[in-house]
Amino acid sequence: MQPSSIASYLANGRLGRLCLKELRESLRDRRTLITLILMPILVYPLLSMAMQRLIVSTASGLNADKTEYIIGVTDEQAGSLVASALGETALAIRNGVRHSIEIRRPELASSAGKTKEPAKDPQTAGFNIVVADGISLQQALEQGQVDVAVLQVRSESISLGRNGTYPTYELELSFRDADLRSEAAMLEFRKAMELVNDSQSMQFRGSLPAAVRLISTATGKRVDAMTSLAGILPLILILMTITGAVYPAIDLTAGERERGTMEAMIATPAPRFLLLLSKYVAVVTVAVLTALANLFACWITLSIGGLGRALLGERGLSLLAMLQILPLLVIFAAFFSAILLAMCSFARSFKEAQAYLIPVMLVSLAPALLTLMPNIEFSTLLGIVPLVNILLLSRDIMTGSPQALPAFAAVFSTLLYAAAALVVASRLFGAESATAGSQETWSDLFRRPKRMQELPDLGDLAVYLALMFPVFFILTNLFGQMDLSIANKLWINAGILLVLFLITPALVAQYRRLNLRSTFLLGNWMGDAPWLIPSAVGGLGVLCGVGLLASGLWVIAFEVLKVLSDLGFGAISIARSEALEEAKTQFAAIPFWTIFLTSALVPALAEEFFFRGYVLSAFRNRTSPLRAVLYSALVFGFFHVINGSVLSLERFFPTALLGLALGFVAIRTRSLWPGVLLHATHNGLLFWLTRFSEKELSEWFGSTNQHFPPIWILASLAAVACGIGLVYFLTRQRFHENAT
Amino acid sequence: MIVANELRKQFSVRGKTLVAVNGVSFAVGNSEVYGLLGPNGAGKTTTLRMIMGLTEPDSGWVEIGGTRTDTDATGIRHQLGLISTNDGVYPWLSVREMLMYFADLYAVEPQIAKHRLEELAEWLAIGSFLDQRCSTLSTGQKQRVTLARGLMHDPPVMLLDEPTRGLDVVGSQTVFQFIELLKARGKSVLLSTHRLDEAERVCDRFGLLHHGTMRYEGTLGDLRDQTGKAHLVDMFIELIREDRAGPATLGESD
Repeated sequence: MQPSSIASYLANGRLGRLCLKELRESLRDRRTLITLILMPILVYPLLSMAMQRLIVSTASGLNADKTEYIIGVTDEQAGSLVASALGETALAIRNGVRHSIEIRRPELASSAGKTKEPAKDPQTAGFNIVVADGISLQQALEQGQVDVAVLQVRSESISLGRNGTYPTYELELSFRDADLRSEAAMLEFRKAMELVNDSQSMQFRGSLPAAVRLISTATGKRVDAMTSLAGILPLILILMTITGAVYPAIDLTAGERERGTMEAMIATPAPRFLLLLSKYVAVVTVAVLTALANLFACWITLSIGGLGRALLGERGLSLLAMLQILPLLVIFAAFFSAILLAMCSFARSFKEAQAYLIPVMLVSLAPALLTLMPNIEFSTLLGIVPLVNILLLSRDIMTGSPQALPAFAAVFSTLLYAAAALVVASRLFGAESATAGSQETWSDLFRRPKRMQELPDLGDLAVYLALMFPVFFILTNLFGQMDLSIANKLWINAGILLVLFLITPALVAQYRRLNLRSTFLLGNWMGDAPWLIPSAVGGLGVLCGVGLLASGLWVIAFEVLKVLSDLGFGAISIARSEALEEAKTQFAAIPFWTIFLTSALVPALAEEFFFRGYVLSAFRNRTSPLRAVLYSALVFGFFHVINGSVLSLERFFPTALLGLALGFVAIRTRSLWPGVLLHATHNGLLFWLTRFSEKELSEWFGSTNQHFPPIWILASLAAVACGIGLVYFLTRQRFHENAT
Repeated sequence: MIVANELRKQFSVRGKTLVAVNGVSFAVGNSEVYGLLGPNGAGKTTTLRMIMGLTEPDSGWVEIGGTRTDTDATGIRHQLGLISTNDGVYPWLSVREMLMYFADLYAVEPQIAKHRLEELAEWLAIGSFLDQRCSTLSTGQKQRVTLARGLMHDPPVMLLDEPTRGLDVVGSQTVFQFIELLKARGKSVLLSTHRLDEAERVCDRFGLLHHGTMRYEGTLGDLRDQTGKAHLVDMFIELIREDRAGPATLGESD
């Protein structure tokens, strides 16, 4: 595969036509259409019915012969208001369920105060309105003495002129979140209210506001919020998305082999990666279409059936939550389709593919079921567990409380896993083992090449990132949360960087027989001699350019961060800024050389080695230098968003900006060392800034808002421009010589 | 045209080393039909795969139109057409869609591909069902679509891997006509088969493979001189008999 041959397939919309063929094949197949259209239409209504049954039966199962719910009120006046809101305006009969109402005091429950016999018929749901005595209503609710607490009742009468008055009520309710009985009571109460409102609006032709309005709040912790049941929804959505992808994945790989079209296809000069990519696009598209169909069917069912509110609380399933879950499903589809393709590419026939997939599905189902356990929290570390992370994130979005760091980890790691799986799939796809029956195995995937390679393979990079990111994430989190002194944390962090960004990539490169010198740009940066200037002078000139860049970039990076936080982007919360202040004082106690070594020199060395060495070279292997610099800067930026156990999205921009400059220097000078110098100086200057107190800084800046004075910013921009110009000018010859 | 030079490939099966192809060399000129013959397991398919660049030879190389497999294994496929026994069609695509898909796979410009499609439709009499789904075609129609598929990029070299296996007389006849057509158009044709009677009919020259080595090569006349047998079938029986009498490990070693 040469870049040029790939280019001819990317031109003239050819790749698009290749994808279109795969899509046609999938979408014209009846079997795909069944999972795409028929399943969602059937599954959700059935599921909804089953769940409603479950809720009702669990709730009534607690009290087999007494399906009356206890409504707690603060005093008798409130009680009679609730009763009139419920009972006086309409006879509450719906779906054969009669809502009987009684008012009583707890101690008089058996005798006086009854207005009606409590219903004995299990078909009848009744409400006992009781006045909480001795304990607060909230306590009574929490202890289970009442099922729903009416915290406040407001009543207002709207005058209808000659027709008398029209009473309206506003009830503030509270219920126990984790409790099925309390949930069911709430559901029944709401039904009764709706009935009242319906009959009222019928009577007055909808010209009046709703007679009864409910404001309900759930008590107890969020996590209890029927999350076990709310967790089912993402699981079902994801399972259905998988189902949608399974058939096309098998059909487009093993099916291709079974129909006898594979051989002819791989005998063409079309790069296999692109062949697989077009199939991947088709599988993901079908999966996303399935996800959309399911999401829509699910939303409709939940909204119509009222089950949404029962499962997810007052808001039900908002359209916004649906729109947030959709990208998650897309990301998940991207991930799982790649896994499916990798599995199916290995299979020789449809049957074999199915045999491979069944264990995969079962294995992925086990952790998925784990997410159904109540009280399982979406902790940071679960963020990198494939499948589980997306499930928990969707659950949290549905219940309205997603958290930033695990969410980022979930999305970023899933995308990396998807890329790695795609690489594996493309290496397996059309592999000799599957067509010729020879004895190649999975271990041949990453077999050591026989010949020396100049630059790393982009696929290897994807796999390395997918393996390294979870490790990086776990380690930084683990040590970030440990109770260690700042100095120790700095040393540990430097150690992690050295291992993951320098030592391991070097070992990988050694194993893959990479030319270390060209991969990690280990050459010198001298030797450029425009107009017969001695090469040493040219090298010094480059260094001057790098120095100019270093002197300007840190100011710009600092300003970008400031502007972002002024815009409210990643604004530093009080807790965090307090922690920062504390960190600052602790920082001040650490000798600067320690900080310089652990936070400037080692990161510069390790990160340059990895991002400008391995990552940039891998991109360079496949794309133009300009794009390679851009992509490597993006990867660089994303890795810096994780800041210990905190997510700092705002760091992405200045870091990516620095990554662009570093990539430019590396690719122009064909050497790592100027970048290391630039990176170390940049970090060093930023950390040096933290050694000053707020007061000193404001005096220094001449302003209290901690922005650099405009003259500084202008000077820095000029320095950066000059630096870029100098490096560009002095490396022209070297750059072009190397390019050819 | 094709030049194969000292191709060698061995596989390791259950710890044993099997030499599938052992130093095979031959050349096929333009407008020539070359029969690569041999019983099952002689190494024909492995040789073809090495020519297509699907299998990397342990040593040796193939050159097609000045491009060598060891320098540009992928680029060489632009010059090759392949039609093999088990070739299928895409049931859910129309004939036109399938042929245009292969044109794209060979990076043929759409305008040229459209023109060629019309030309092939006439040649192979597939014009009447171009917009029909492949699943609705008869066996004979499918076969002609497959033949058209191999020519969508107008390759100078055509590899035919057991093209008549499982076909009836009419089907085989279509293939023979197709081969004649290719020859008339100046293409080099490499026909791999174990149907010796057919080979005798259509091939200009032959290479007899057995246990991965080229045992005899030349025109039918040459082979008759070398072996003293009149027909390819007799030559083969002789080969196999030799096998039974002599050491059976000609192409195998531990």
